[in-house]
Amino acid sequence: MVFLPDESRSLPPPPLVNKCSVWLGLTGWLAALLDNGFNRRPVIRAGVHRQILFTTVGWFVGYYLLKRTEYIYAKLDRELFEYVRHHPEDFKIAEKKRIGEIFEEFHPVR
Amino acid sequence: MAAALRAAKRLRLVVGVPGLDFTRSAFVAKKNIYDQPNWFGVGLAFSTTAALWALLFKQHNEDVMEYERRKAEREHKCTGCS
Repeated sequence: MVFLPDESRSLPPPPLVNKCSVWLGLTGWLAALLDNGFNRRPVIRAGVHRQILFTTVGWFVGYYLLKRTEYIYAKLDRELFEYVRHHPEDFKIAEKKRIGEIFEEFHPVR
Repeated sequence: MAAALRAAKRLRLVVGVPGLDFTRSAFVAKKNIYDQPNWFGVGLAFSTTAALWALLFKQHNEDVMEYERRKAEREHKCTGCS
């Protein structure tokens, strides 16, 4: 199983700043802060090189994960629309009823 | 057997080094130096960070170029040379 098939390159690539990268970067930073906490170091002031490294790794993994996610969704959409195109009888648009046809005739009781 | 073990233990206490004849541990503890930064670790972390960012930027630029190329190819194929 290829992580990113060749046809995924036909999709527009996600921007460098994207939700997946930001989130995983934050989790990486949190992991570094947790590591500081567990090893009895000052939580934010210690191991800045470690914090930066973990954030970068999260950012990096997030970019590739988002590319694969978008590819899977695009593939699903393509298969879905192909099916709809091949079976138009199952996907007829319902006729719009006018409001006069829905309600019964109005007899005011005064 | 017990006497031999006791003798070995006494010898080890005198020597002060984990004996390799009766113990089978692969780990030897050493004291961490917390006075100065672990410059090797810091350098490794920063160089890995720089390498990862460089790789990411390169990959993103390649992806954009490839997407634009395929888009142009698709349009060229559909409209033809007009």
